[in-house]
Amino acid sequence: MSIKDTKTWIQEWLDERSGLSSITKFLREKKIPQHKHSIWYYTGSAILLFFTIQVITGFVLVFYYSPTLEEANQSVGRIMTEVPFGWIIRSVHSWSASFMIAFVFVHLLSIWITKSYRRPREATWMSGVILLVFTLAFGFTGYLLPWDDLSLAATKVGTDIPRSIPVVGIWGTRFLRGGEDITGDTLTRFFGFHVSILPVLLFILLAVHIYLVQKHGMSLPLTARRKNERFVELPFWPNFVYREMVVWLILVGVLFSVAVFLPPSLEKAADLMAPAPEGIKPEWYFLFLFQTLKVFPAKILFITGDTIAILLILLAVIFLFFLPLIDNRPAERKGKIITFIAYVFIMYAVVMTVWSLI
Amino acid sequence: MVLCLASLVLKYGYALQITPQAKDQAVQAEKEKEPEKIMPSPKNIKESTAIYVFLVWMWVAVFVLIYILILKIKEVDRLHRIKFFSAKRE
Repeated sequence: MSIKDTKTWIQEWLDERSGLSSITKFLREKKIPQHKHSIWYYTGSAILLFFTIQVITGFVLVFYYSPTLEEANQSVGRIMTEVPFGWIIRSVHSWSASFMIAFVFVHLLSIWITKSYRRPREATWMSGVILLVFTLAFGFTGYLLPWDDLSLAATKVGTDIPRSIPVVGIWGTRFLRGGEDITGDTLTRFFGFHVSILPVLLFILLAVHIYLVQKHGMSLPLTARRKNERFVELPFWPNFVYREMVVWLILVGVLFSVAVFLPPSLEKAADLMAPAPEGIKPEWYFLFLFQTLKVFPAKILFITGDTIAILLILLAVIFLFFLPLIDNRPAERKGKIITFIAYVFIMYAVVMTVWSLI
Repeated sequence: MVLCLASLVLKYGYALQITPQAKDQAVQAEKEKEPEKIMPSPKNIKESTAIYVFLVWMWVAVFVLIYILILKIKEVDRLHRIKFFSAKRE
C-alpha cells in the first residue's frame, strides 16, 4: 500500500466513524469577505490562541502549585527557582492572560464600533459580553494565587467591592471570601474558581459563542451593508486559516519574547495581620475601575460614593449586555450616537488608567 | 552527680524557657532571612544560553514558516480565483 493509499484509507476510516468530511466541507464553503476592516476578523482567533496557551501552561503550573496558606507563596517560589524553566512557564501564563484580555477588549470594541451585534447576531454579542466577564474573573482569581502582599491587598479591595451593592452586597463579599475576611478559605475558593468552575463555564459558553459565529457567518462593514457592495470572498479553509496562522506565529513570537525579558516577580508571602502596603494596584485591566472608585467622594447626599460608583459600573455592564436590544435598528443604519458612546468609553478607560498610574 | 546534672542544665540551657519576646524575635529573624522578592531569571549559564538559543531558533522558525505560509496563501488564492475546487466538485 503506497503512502497516498494509506492516507486515503485513514481519511475514509475516520470519516466513516466521525463524519469529519462534513466539517471540512462546511469550512471550505464558509466564506470570509475581504475588505479594509477584515483585520478585526483576526482578533477572535487570537483570543482562542492565548486561551489555549493559558490552558497548557496552567496544566504545568497546577502540578507544582499548592493552594494552602502555608504553601501557596512557597510553591510559586519553587516553580520560579527549582522547576526547570518554571519561571518562563509562569511568565508565559501571566503574559498570555494580559494579551488575551487586551484582545478581548479589542474584539469587543471592534464589534461595537462596526455594529456587528445587530440582528441576527444579538445572542453572539451577549454571549461575548458574558465571556468578557468570565475572562476578567479568571484574571481576578488568578491574581491572588501567588499569595504575596500585593495580591492579598488587591483581593481585599476587589472582594470588598460587592459590599457596596445594596441588599445582596454583603452576601456577595462573603461568598467570594468564604467568610467575613480573607483567609486560607478564600485562597482555596479562588483556586477552585480559577481551575475548575470558570474553565467549565467558559468552555460551555465558548462553544455556544463559536457555534453562533459559525451559524451567522462574518458580518459585513456598515458601508457594504448600506450600499449592497460586493466583496471578494475567500474560503475559510484553507485561505483564511493560512492568514490566521501568520498572525498566530507573530503573536506567539512576541509573547515568548516578552515572557523571557519581562517575567513577573514574586513578593514575599502575604501576612494577614500586616497593614496594606503602600501604592497597591490591581492588574492593568482593572485600573480604570479602581480609579473610578477612588475619584468618587466618600458620601454623596445620603449614599456612599462607593455604592454610586459600583451601581454606575453595573449599569454600564447591563448597557453593554443589552446593547443589541437598545440599538435594534436595521443593520444599514449608521448609529452615530452608539459609535460616540464607544469612543467615550475608550477615552474614559485610557484616561482613568493613565491617571491611576501617575 | 547533682553537680554534673546542674552543669549540663546550665551548659545546654535546658532550664531556660522561651519567652514570648524571644519567640517574636526568632519569628522576626526568620522573616528577615526570607528573600523580600524573588526575581525570575535563568538559574545558571546553561539555562540562560538555552533560553536565548531557543528564542533565536523560535524567531528563525517563525520567519521561515511565515515565508512558507505566504507562498501557500498565494497558491490557494490562485486556485480560488480560477475556481479550481468548484470545478473539481462539478
